[in-house]
Amino acid sequence: MTTMTRRNLLRLGALAGAGAVTAGCATPGTTSVNAEPTVPAAPAGETITLTYWAWLKDLQKVCDVWNAQNPHIQVQASWIQGGNAGGYQKLYSALAAGGGPDLGQVELRSLPEFMLVNGLVDLRRYGVDDYADRYNEALWQQVSYVDGVYGIPQDSGPMALYYRPDLLDAVGAAPPQTWAQWADVARAVRDTGAHLDCFNYADASWFAAMAQQAGARWLRVEDDSWVIALADETTLEVARFFDAAIDEGLLTTAYGQFSTPWFAAAANNDIAGLISASWGDALLQGVSGASGLWRVAPMPRWETGYASSFLGGSSAAVMANSRHPKEAMEFAVWMTTRPEGINAMIEHCGIGWSPASDYIGSAREGGSEFFGGQPYNTEVFEPAAAPAAQNLEWSWWPITQQSFNILADGFRAKAAGGTLVDAVVAAQGTIVRTFRNKGLTIREETA
Amino acid sequence: MTTAASTATGAAAGATSTGEVQKLRRTASAGGADHSAGRSPASTILVTGILVLVAIYFLVPVYWVIVAATKTTDDLFATNGFWFADTFALFSNLQQVLTYDNGIFVRWFANSLLYAGVGAVLATYFAAAGGYALSAYRFRGSNLVFGTILGGVLVPGTATALPLFLLFSQLGLANTYWAVLIPSLVSPYGLFLCRIYADASVSPSLLEAARLDGASELRIFHSVGLRVLTPALVTVFLFQLVGIWNNYFLPLVMLSDQRLYPITLGLVNWRSQTDRLPEFYQLTTAGVLLSVIPLAIAMIVLQRFWRGGLTEGSVK
Amino acid sequence: MSDPTTVRRRKRSVSSPGAAPWLLLAPFLAVFAFTFVLPIIVAVGNSFTRVTRLGVFGEEGVITEFAWFANYAQALENGNFIASIGRMLLFGVVQVTVMITLSTVLALLLESASARWPGVFRAIYFLPYGIPGVVATILWSFLYVPGLSPIIDVAAWVGWDVDFLGAGSVLWSIANIVTWTYAGYNMLIIVAQLKAIPGEVYEAARVDGAGPLRMAFAIQLPLIRPALVLTVVFSIIGTLQLFAEPQVLATVAPSIDSEYTPNLSAYTTAFAYNDYNVAAAQAVLIALVAFALSFTFLRLTNRSSS
Repeated sequence: MTTMTRRNLLRLGALAGAGAVTAGCATPGTTSVNAEPTVPAAPAGETITLTYWAWLKDLQKVCDVWNAQNPHIQVQASWIQGGNAGGYQKLYSALAAGGGPDLGQVELRSLPEFMLVNGLVDLRRYGVDDYADRYNEALWQQVSYVDGVYGIPQDSGPMALYYRPDLLDAVGAAPPQTWAQWADVARAVRDTGAHLDCFNYADASWFAAMAQQAGARWLRVEDDSWVIALADETTLEVARFFDAAIDEGLLTTAYGQFSTPWFAAAANNDIAGLISASWGDALLQGVSGASGLWRVAPMPRWETGYASSFLGGSSAAVMANSRHPKEAMEFAVWMTTRPEGINAMIEHCGIGWSPASDYIGSAREGGSEFFGGQPYNTEVFEPAAAPAAQNLEWSWWPITQQSFNILADGFRAKAAGGTLVDAVVAAQGTIVRTFRNKGLTIREETA
Repeated sequence: MTTAASTATGAAAGATSTGEVQKLRRTASAGGADHSAGRSPASTILVTGILVLVAIYFLVPVYWVIVAATKTTDDLFATNGFWFADTFALFSNLQQVLTYDNGIFVRWFANSLLYAGVGAVLATYFAAAGGYALSAYRFRGSNLVFGTILGGVLVPGTATALPLFLLFSQLGLANTYWAVLIPSLVSPYGLFLCRIYADASVSPSLLEAARLDGASELRIFHSVGLRVLTPALVTVFLFQLVGIWNNYFLPLVMLSDQRLYPITLGLVNWRSQTDRLPEFYQLTTAGVLLSVIPLAIAMIVLQRFWRGGLTEGSVK
Repeated sequence: MSDPTTVRRRKRSVSSPGAAPWLLLAPFLAVFAFTFVLPIIVAVGNSFTRVTRLGVFGEEGVITEFAWFANYAQALENGNFIASIGRMLLFGVVQVTVMITLSTVLALLLESASARWPGVFRAIYFLPYGIPGVVATILWSFLYVPGLSPIIDVAAWVGWDVDFLGAGSVLWSIANIVTWTYAGYNMLIIVAQLKAIPGEVYEAARVDGAGPLRMAFAIQLPLIRPALVLTVVFSIIGTLQLFAEPQVLATVAPSIDSEYTPNLSAYTTAFAYNDYNVAAAQAVLIALVAFALSFTFLRLTNRSSS
């Protein structure tokens, strides 16, 4: 460049501007990888490297087990923040940028959101059906949408009641078997100054799990349209129950489970119990001086519905920009159904419940010192995870997170005099509007 | 549409700001003096007492993190936060911070130095050249340019971060060092300061003399302009350095690879893991301590050079 | 980028600057165009585009079309977004006032002859400015969390039950973090301006028998007006940009939702809801509000001074 005249500069600027406008207006996520031809497997002998973004700790050690057995398919794990705490933002922005990993950890509930932006590969096109019978039926249901399968179940969270026998004994109570009994126990515990659980206004997923247990079916696909039944009688009944429990002070709303203040309260013997998922066992061990104090019992039951529910649970999903979808899928299947994969994940990552239909992992078969020797996994969680104990009708939808935020906004209003019931009813209307804003077809269930 | 609007408002805002500056310059003919109305012991005690109280407010969090960094996670929850626990775990905590994940903390620190150092040096140079050009030359379009840039001062940086991300994505620049470096190279506020300072300190006769010596315009800038502008450059450099070092939104939006993170993003990353993995409390507190110490020292040393921006044009 | 030797040979003329100013401006303008002007154009373009996905998952087609103001309408219909702007206005009015008052008082005290060790205090007050907002928030969050915070312990000990993270208080807990970080910086700007007040002015006032208070109100405050205007404008812009503090604090405060501030709302809309177009509309709206506020403030102060 010798001289830059003003006109040249302007011309250059205008050119760059025009280019950017055309480029910038192409909104990310509008082309579907599942309409393109499938990617053939890498030729034998060629070494490929797969990347896997997940928030499991030490996942690389699990990958290393695979890497040792499969020198031509090496897997590299990268840590991202958990789900909506930052991990998804990273995945979405990488997808929008046309890159990203081969595999991403995506919660079961978030799969449809990634599908909506064409972020996932339909694994049915790569022969995933061959492996379907290796997985828990309830979980397979949660990765199957319309005509495809969009993730490999990786872990799940069958729910149960964790409790402190010493604090319950002090008021002469046993673990409650029904929610009505739960309220009685909570009342008694409350008199001693402790709480039997907390209700986090900010996170609607726990409430959703309760409705799921009661037999609700918030959204489903029927005749090429979404059908919403969020504010049905089953859910409203659950909302009424927790409205009353919060009004009576049985649940604290000051903090959520496993938050920093919760750990402080638990260390101070102010938490007598919590209803949470199987992965809560590892978190409980973070409570200062809690070894031997906790036990696990089945969840209390509603009058309708099922013995347990799922909270959390994630999949290993093959991302749209993967250049080796077939190999990525095979690694994910190995990791989640072969005993060496499952055991490595439990040992290194401390993951939630294994999605395999026939193997829970060797470390989970015996008693646990932390839980005073109770073999809680075989005793409580294995039956809780069984398809018979779970709501098989439940499925997720493309704006799950936004719906949870909408619900949480309504829940927060309870602090200012609203009710959960109001929040649920209002949320249904807002969710319908949000679907339609995106162009998706939805109707409200006509009872 | 926004460009046109921003130009208009920017120009108007510029006019008002330069007005302020001129007023300012008029008030600043002489340096401050000891202007006390007498110093009575009572007022000295009162004033100093207030200043001490405020100082405690500013120091409490720093003191807390010094104490917290010496504790194990168990003690962090079990002992009083304002005093040390029996086990003194500072060195093992620091060792963990420096060695965790192959010393990723050190890498984050180096990244921050890179982003802030390179970004601030180049941004200062660019701002100086631009500000000097707008001050030393009268040319068609100069007002338009200055107005547009002033509009840039008023645009919240975060408002441009999202579109910038989409743009960088399409150019393949997202999630690279460039994604954080390039936007750090421009400081509209810095250019603004340089121009005001140049208006006040670069005299036409000086430039004329240099021209008579046969120096080229660019050479004049480098030999005369930069030298005269030095005090303003220090301010712009520090301002930009701290701005980039403290930036969080831009790297958050741009970077997904942990190895490219600056220290801010890295520490938040650790903090967010404490809920699941309590051992991260030790990493977070010790990491915060390590990242605060050099900056605290830098701030204490550098505050002498910090002339507070706008007044730069008048304080000589 | 440009070759100075070429230029030197070409440019000896004094009267017409020719390409010299543009050459000097070129690097700045290039980056400025790339990182300010282009993104704004892109944002405006995106904000007028709409993507609709037909069917259950968009399998019946994805339509990208010009949307006129539909995205803006959607952004403005979103109660949370509007609430977040309202929240920031409230925050701005209170926090900016408190902070600038604190900074001014500190500056006046430090510059008064009654202050001992002004250099030490100035350094201490300025120190938090070097601590990134997110790190400051991590620090303060530990001091806000029940069970960890010694402040809450001390308050409970004297029978005062404080909740820093409740729905009503968390906004002011954020305000505290922002004030802690920036009060010293603003103070320094004001101190610099105070130092520029000529000695004769004080001399004259002293002859008139003015005390320290009268001196502050009648002389110092009017003369540091430009610095105050500047700090207020930057604080207003900073307030509308609030993001890191609430985002980091949200992990311990359930009352902070994902659209607590305008920026958080835009970020959530873009990266959690994948609605880049509405997010672009939000970003444009945020910029417009920041513009309007700063501009109005400058106008108001200009009018009252003339």
